[in-house]
Amino acid sequence: MIAAGIDIGTQSAKVAILKGGEVLSRSLALCGFNPKEAAEKAFKEALRKARLSFDNVEHITATGAGAAKATNSDSTISMVGADAQAGAYFFPSARTVIDVGAEEARAVSCDENGNMLDFVLNSRCAAGAGTFIEAMARALEVELEELGPLSLKAEKASPINASCVIFSESDVVSLIHRQEPKPEIARAIYDAMADRISSMVHRLGIKPHVVLVGGVAKDVGFVTSLKRKLHTELLIPEGPVFAGSVGAALTAGKRIG
Amino acid sequence: MATKFEGKVKAIPEMPPKEIEEMRNTMEFVSRKVIAENIERMKITWPNRPKTMQYFDEISNFFGQRVEEIRAQKEAGKKIIGYSCMFAPIELILAADAIPVRIDSGWYDTAKLGDTIVPVEVCPVIRSNIGTQMVNLSPYLELSDAIIIPLTCDGRTKLSEILRDDKTVWTMCPPRIKDSLQSRKLWVEEVKAVKEKIEDLTGTEITGKTLRSAIEITQRASKAFRRLQEIRKGNPVIMGRDSMLVNQTSTWDDIKRWTQKTEELCDELENRIEQKNWACSPDTPRVMVTGTPMIWPDNWKIPNLIEESSPHGVIVVDELCSGDRLLYDPVGVDEWTMSDMMDALAERYILASTCPCFTSEHGNEDRINWLLDRVTEYRVDGVIYYVIRGCILYAMEYARIKRLLDSMDVPVYYLDTEYTREDVGQMKTRVEAFLEMLETRVALREVK
Repeated sequence: MIAAGIDIGTQSAKVAILKGGEVLSRSLALCGFNPKEAAEKAFKEALRKARLSFDNVEHITATGAGAAKATNSDSTISMVGADAQAGAYFFPSARTVIDVGAEEARAVSCDENGNMLDFVLNSRCAAGAGTFIEAMARALEVELEELGPLSLKAEKASPINASCVIFSESDVVSLIHRQEPKPEIARAIYDAMADRISSMVHRLGIKPHVVLVGGVAKDVGFVTSLKRKLHTELLIPEGPVFAGSVGAALTAGKRIG
Repeated sequence: MATKFEGKVKAIPEMPPKEIEEMRNTMEFVSRKVIAENIERMKITWPNRPKTMQYFDEISNFFGQRVEEIRAQKEAGKKIIGYSCMFAPIELILAADAIPVRIDSGWYDTAKLGDTIVPVEVCPVIRSNIGTQMVNLSPYLELSDAIIIPLTCDGRTKLSEILRDDKTVWTMCPPRIKDSLQSRKLWVEEVKAVKEKIEDLTGTEITGKTLRSAIEITQRASKAFRRLQEIRKGNPVIMGRDSMLVNQTSTWDDIKRWTQKTEELCDELENRIEQKNWACSPDTPRVMVTGTPMIWPDNWKIPNLIEESSPHGVIVVDELCSGDRLLYDPVGVDEWTMSDMMDALAERYILASTCPCFTSEHGNEDRINWLLDRVTEYRVDGVIYYVIRGCILYAMEYARIKRLLDSMDVPVYYLDTEYTREDVGQMKTRVEAFLEMLETRVALREVK
């Protein structure tokens, strides 16, 4: 029983292929200006890795902001629905799944079967998501990958406003002018973002265990800040960016039979 | 330069008439399109839509037959009295043989125009009303000889000042605590004061006989209104948007004719119940909407999404002052004396209201109980709590209501939006995820 999930996000398209509940392969392609093409590219690559052809796939479920662009899919599932499925799959004890992607953050509570019980989405502002970190890294003139490790060297926290990316950038510029050390500014950026995510999760209610997925779950700076804010451990699966596509593939699997 | 204000300076600057004309024409064009489109969408969702709905479709056109009717009556000497907010006692307007029309604005384009006068933080209903006044988009507002504005929120309080630029405005001050003696006294006096103003404008004395007959008219309207809401308790025999439209047209239609047409619609719907001719599958998740009013025609965004998305839901009940709250409560008169009728009228508009502008020892108890009762009676699977930016009263009541609904295991989703078409995609993501969750719950419940 071969099932596939396609997750077309705002920045990249992810594909996961499952056989009887086991992940056979995963692949990612950047969307650029053509998310449809990116999804097709990722799909082909995932098939190649799994040594399968398109005809072997029995059901394809699409998710993500660009789900409608996955024209070859058989069904769709909401992003939060896919997160709940994936969270419970990676960690059966998961009751809360937080997903921080490029432009959106969301949290969902789920049961042991991955059924979604409740969810929240951030208030339609990129300040609580990955692109915020990218914009701030640019303002600090450091590579995106360096920002996280840099923030861990901070001795104290300097609060900044994270209600909006634009305001935050001007706050960061003031910190630079005040000649605050870079590690502290980096930490301020992650703290501000973690603040926003944590108040969102609090609206939902934090039920352990808490799973963190999405591209930003790989950023050690963000993970450290979020743990501090939520006062809880965060379970992070291997390849957190693929959670949506795995959740969609699990859904596809359920829809076959 | 002016050294004293004395009401001489207008809030809205003068604009060249040609510019106003052009803006009005563009906005009217868009609005006609939106009205036609929304009706078309309702027809697509419910292909077997009863013929009786055609009447309400026609009345829902802000540039159609109903406006012409009112215009002709105005030319024949009748007075038109507009009102913002459902606290205005329409029975007094009817008793003076004048025409009541609600003028709360649902237009998105005029809200953008209102931004040039007041900041974007202001509630969009208010901004839209300001913009509507600027370009005369609403024929009902334009035709109104006077406007009653109950000061139920901060937005309406200041809106009354801005509309005074060009209009006769009568404010009414509702108390914030409804069950105290002093509140009651204040409100009865407010109702009396507005009665005198209506009499002065129309030159018609409101007598015991005319008031009784007006009260009886709205009592009959309430009966039809309740009949429709009662029908919605069962399997879906009417889509939510259609009943919302019927409810809302009552605020500008001829109320007697509206009552008759609503009874006709209910006859047909009851026939359909016998034939098990449902508007959508009885397994469709049953949704309740509550919060800020959803005003025709532009602000139909959320009901459209709920009933069109995939999976879709059906709105079986709402707690909106643009919806199920409108005519639900009849005026309860004991003795048909003038003073009893006036007391009963005042009570109906205050005690029966579940507006979040009120508070009491136990918070806004009446609204909360209203919501919880409906959730059970209408077998609601999930609640969409809808708030537009700047609507502090509804936004602040959410925390408690969410916890109460959680304790009843009823999912609720807080949806905050604006008077804009641009966020439909984001709204859709949220609504679809919520409905997907409800669908799973409905399926699991059936398995059990």
